[in-house]
Amino acid sequence: MIGPKPNLAKPLSLRGLAKRYATADGRTIEALLPVDLEITPGEFLVVVGPSGCGKSTLLNILAGLTSPSAGEAWVGDIRVEGPDIDRGMVFQDYALFPWLDVIGNVEFGLERKRIPRRERRGIAMRYLEMVGLTDFAEKRPRELSGGMKQRVAIARTFATEPSIIFMDEPFGALDALTRRYLQHQLLRIWQQHRKTVVFITHSVVEAIYLADRVVLMTARPGRIKTVLKIELPHPRDPTSDEFRSIERRVYADLDEELVKSFRMEGSDTGSPPTVIY
Amino acid sequence: MWWAVVLIAKPHMSLLPSPLLTAQTFVQLVASGELLSHAAYSVCRVLAAWSLAAVVAVPLGFAMGRWQRLERVLDPVVELFRPISPLAWIPLAILWFGIDEGGKIFVIFIGTFFPILLNTIAGAKNIDPVLIRAGRILGCTDDASLFRKVVLPAAMPQVIVGLRISFGTGWAAIIAAELVAARSGLGYLISNGMEVLRSDFVLVGMVTIGVLGVLFDAIFRWVDRCYNWMGE
Repeated sequence: MIGPKPNLAKPLSLRGLAKRYATADGRTIEALLPVDLEITPGEFLVVVGPSGCGKSTLLNILAGLTSPSAGEAWVGDIRVEGPDIDRGMVFQDYALFPWLDVIGNVEFGLERKRIPRRERRGIAMRYLEMVGLTDFAEKRPRELSGGMKQRVAIARTFATEPSIIFMDEPFGALDALTRRYLQHQLLRIWQQHRKTVVFITHSVVEAIYLADRVVLMTARPGRIKTVLKIELPHPRDPTSDEFRSIERRVYADLDEELVKSFRMEGSDTGSPPTVIY
Repeated sequence: MWWAVVLIAKPHMSLLPSPLLTAQTFVQLVASGELLSHAAYSVCRVLAAWSLAAVVAVPLGFAMGRWQRLERVLDPVVELFRPISPLAWIPLAILWFGIDEGGKIFVIFIGTFFPILLNTIAGAKNIDPVLIRAGRILGCTDDASLFRKVVLPAAMPQVIVGLRISFGTGWAAIIAAELVAARSGLGYLISNGMEVLRSDFVLVGMVTIGVLGVLFDAIFRWVDRCYNWMGE
């Protein structure tokens, strides 16, 4: 096969990874309490939690975009010290380069990997085919819908053949139908390519639908509350009883924390608010 | 309307010549090569000063846009000098560089420098941070490649806006500079026309300034379309 040598999926280990920020008035904020976690090669791990629980911070540390204030992350036998093209990332707001056309975006990382122009084009087309967008290769990102943009971003990320892919609420800005369709496509692609995936969302259903394991995080300060193995076979049916019972369990855990954090914030009412979904 | 005013009010020829006479003068000046040479002087002065300003202001603008510390230091200086019209520099320019090319190029340099600088700063500063992160993730791990592959193209439309606006201000300022001190150029054509009471010269000069201004703007719009990814 011509093109980049496919990287095997690699394990990811987090050892005492923590992050604290200093605010302008000299206080420190614990964004993330020490996290220990082993992610096996080819695993689809989903981190779910309310906003402000430090899940994006965690992902940025793993991707090498932010440095931790304590602890370390290892991909295989390499310590994460900065961004690396071997670790891909899909962003919530697509982050397509607006001055490049669709295929130019997919080729961006391949060019950085110094793959010759002609091969680059072929590889990029293959990955556009994977997300069903070959007809849009010459279009500009602004001409695409949100769902199509995210498919381009997914193709761009997979095209560089990273061994790990981070996804930061990738479907958060999309409507429910597009979201459902892309979740399905992502699972298909993941099953073909068997990458290690760390996926962040605040949707419990999305987490259970996609994950091998769900990591439940809580806010203020961010820490892992529960790690849950999801053993349902794919494709999963969100309306099935098994799915529903897992969902109930996750919500029960989340509620406990939400009530706690609302209590801390809303001392004016005294009583915990009713949580409505 | 011009015709009408000339026919009804019958002003003295030195105040407002008829369009026909102006057109005849235009043809004469073109035929003798005078108009072309005056226009060429003006254009070359603006081009020289504007390119010089771009060479200094674009790199400085990127540096100030990307390094907050540098911007904090230099911003007060920029803000102090920016409101001073380039025309206010004409006396100093004459004192420092004489009435030859140096003085005029200096004035145009001042006039074109700030629009280029401020637009480049804005362009470099307002890059969506997620694009920077995406660039780093996709293999631009050093500053040089990140600049070349992400920062530069992302800021480009705004830089071109600055270049276009500044060319316009430069074009306006050169005429003023030539009115004050010059032996050539369209501004000289106008001021000389006034002195010898040839308002047809003045009008030919003015029309030429306008036409060239529109022409340059059209060229910039064309360049803009080639580089601007922001859409129609």
